[in-house]
Amino acid sequence: MFETLGERLNSALDGVRSSGNLTEDQVKKVTREIRLALLEADVNYAVVKDFVGKVRERATGAEVSRALSPGQQVVKIVDEELANLMGATVHKLSFASRPPTVVLLAGLNGHGKTTAAGKLALFVRKLGKSPYLVACDTYRPAAIDQLKQIGRELGVPVYDEGTEPPPEEIAERGIRAARDGGYDFVIVDTAGRQVVDMEMMEELKRVRKASRPHSVLLVLDVVTGQNAVEVAQAFQEYADFDGMVLTKLDGDARGGAALSVVSVTGRPIRFASEGEKLSEFDYFYPDRMSGRILGMGDVLTLIEKAEEQMDRREAEAQGKKLMSGKFDFEDFLRQMRMIKKMGPLSGLLEMIPGLGKQLQGVQIDDRQLGRVEAMVTSMTARERRNPKLLQNPSRVRRIARGSGTTQRDVQQLVKQFGEMQKMMKKMGKGGVPKMPRMPFK
Amino acid sequence: MARSWRNFFRRETDPAQESGSGVATTTQDEEVPPAEEVLARRDETLAEGEEEAAGEVVEETLPGQDAVEAAPDAASAIERQESGGWFGRLRSGLKRSRESVVGQLNAAVAEFRDADDEEFWEMVEEILIASDVGVTTTAELVRELEQEALEKNITSGRELRALLVEHATRMLEGQVELDVSHRPTVILMVGVNGTGKTTTIGKLVNFLPGSVMLAAGDTFRAAAIEQLQRWGERTGAPVVARQRGADAAAVAHDAVEAAKRDGVDILLVDTAGRLHNKVNLMAELNKVRRVIDRQLPGAPHEVLLTIDATTGQNGLRQAKMFDEVAGVTGVILTKLDGTAKGGIALAIANELGVPIKLISVGEKAEDLHPFDAREFAEALFGDL
Repeated sequence: MFETLGERLNSALDGVRSSGNLTEDQVKKVTREIRLALLEADVNYAVVKDFVGKVRERATGAEVSRALSPGQQVVKIVDEELANLMGATVHKLSFASRPPTVVLLAGLNGHGKTTAAGKLALFVRKLGKSPYLVACDTYRPAAIDQLKQIGRELGVPVYDEGTEPPPEEIAERGIRAARDGGYDFVIVDTAGRQVVDMEMMEELKRVRKASRPHSVLLVLDVVTGQNAVEVAQAFQEYADFDGMVLTKLDGDARGGAALSVVSVTGRPIRFASEGEKLSEFDYFYPDRMSGRILGMGDVLTLIEKAEEQMDRREAEAQGKKLMSGKFDFEDFLRQMRMIKKMGPLSGLLEMIPGLGKQLQGVQIDDRQLGRVEAMVTSMTARERRNPKLLQNPSRVRRIARGSGTTQRDVQQLVKQFGEMQKMMKKMGKGGVPKMPRMPFK
Repeated sequence: MARSWRNFFRRETDPAQESGSGVATTTQDEEVPPAEEVLARRDETLAEGEEEAAGEVVEETLPGQDAVEAAPDAASAIERQESGGWFGRLRSGLKRSRESVVGQLNAAVAEFRDADDEEFWEMVEEILIASDVGVTTTAELVRELEQEALEKNITSGRELRALLVEHATRMLEGQVELDVSHRPTVILMVGVNGTGKTTTIGKLVNFLPGSVMLAAGDTFRAAAIEQLQRWGERTGAPVVARQRGADAAAVAHDAVEAAKRDGVDILLVDTAGRLHNKVNLMAELNKVRRVIDRQLPGAPHEVLLTIDATTGQNGLRQAKMFDEVAGVTGVILTKLDGTAKGGIALAIANELGVPIKLISVGEKAEDLHPFDAREFAEALFGDL
């Protein structure tokens, strides 16, 4: 149903040569695709507008790195801007110097507060704390039962006074009970509420005041759409939350809402909740979110890997050499080893959006790469620098023997390498940029 | 002005419907252990339900005042809101968001000169997207509008808005009525976690004609069974349940048997919330469906999917996957009482052709309403 951003950018930049700067026209095309991808990921349209503006500014005139295709280059800019927005830090829990630490959970109906309360309890217990749950959802039928069942499962005590007393009083007495019982981490579960329900929002304000929490967490379902911004602003006003729990991350929603909320409120996402098991709860790692929002699989990882392996200056020198046709077996070996460092070839290709499907059924033999490497290393330094020497049959025979391959294999490699050289030379002169057949496979 | 509950339930048998479901049903032998059902009944209230069921033509038990007779609980509240009606409530519920959306639309429309104005169409696009209508349906809607505005040479913003409502209405229109012509009629409730299945069942019971039985098919979530039993107590509907962790298909099996045995008119089967991308859980849902079909060929007669109005574009995927596995006959759009505009309903109706049947605009039973395409479109984009 949805195209990934990687695929869109690739088709938008189809035919763009991987050299020079991105033109204004290209940037326009590209930012349009980014805009659509973000909107489909449910990022709030106002946030998208702002964001795309930033990307456009940076992408216009940006020099294209030789390690990356222009599409990847733009994706990288997008990723960096996303990272700027989401922040790079993992926000770990801090505990009150005078226990108990009190955490209040608030949010819309059905976004997973009660489940998150149970999960958080288990999480802090693993950190050596003794959690205590307070049931303040006096509205939804059986909400208290739900928390009690979760508490029983975990062996965590649950404080409740039924559905009659005002929640703020329950919270206050519950926290006191926790302190008296020697528990050092109190989680207050509140009723789900709609932000237009002023009575309920005022009640939340009272619960917040009565429980004097060290932290207020907004629990937000990752499927939330455009209104996430209004929701977050209202909860900020009434509950002044300092972080979020993003829930149902095991679904396939892109989760653009997270981006909207962070960018509008400046409050970070602290926890990620995914899965129905109470143990599936962890700190939120913002770098994992960007790929998800963009729907790019692991293309970002690929970009990182490529950049890590390819020193920029070396890349430029290589590029020049490649285009001038002076590319020899030494350079070839260096590049091949660089690729090998990035992991198995099949895995590498799968990371490229759009390619994954095409590669189904195609067997990529990493051993093939090894065989080529063996042949090249069996060449003398002179042969490597001057492939013409390899026309000599006795040299070919020697190399085949040395690398455990046949003479035919060696001849084929030499022939394909020659074709590649010619092609590169043509490209350097501005010919049609068409991928030559690589000398392996 | 609201769509009436009276015409909402289709009671005549439609032979086309009878012939079966759209979902492939296999008749493998599923292990369904013997029943050890817990029937939570309340004698007085049940008697009331039976009395209602006794009326041959249920239509007569539901006179002109719409749902008032069928939902004694809801009666007072409906009176209280007489002036506004549900549409008023929907509008006030959507007020905050409406203010921004309609305000923007008004501003845009005021500037509208002719159909060639690209900036104007971009603005309309933005407004639609801000309502969660999604990129694809928005593009379609704007394209249609643009073309018609050109053809009809529309120059006034007022006409244009009417056109927008018109097109959105057309996209939203579908088979709204609920088929309750079978005896028993089985209605299966499905949806993602937290979208309001159990709550909606509690509300729906009040409006269903005839006697109702509930099946606590959410055997997974803590206290889901208790929640349904609470609704059973409040509405007087008997609840078929097993202990937590039991096989949901077994609960459905027991419930269909009990409904047949007791001559119940409508059986509402709750299921556990599940994410649509969990293969095992979706297979389990498919099994529930198959077991029901085996016990009562042709059932479930309605499969209702709850979608939270706050949901963004993922709602499309939810609807698609649930439809594939359970054969969704209609969508219930829940929690329209917040700031969410529920534009995803437009995308679902348009892109998947699954009709919206009910909407829920608040927490009380009377906040559940049969869906009306035009009024929904007007609440979304109109300024009346």
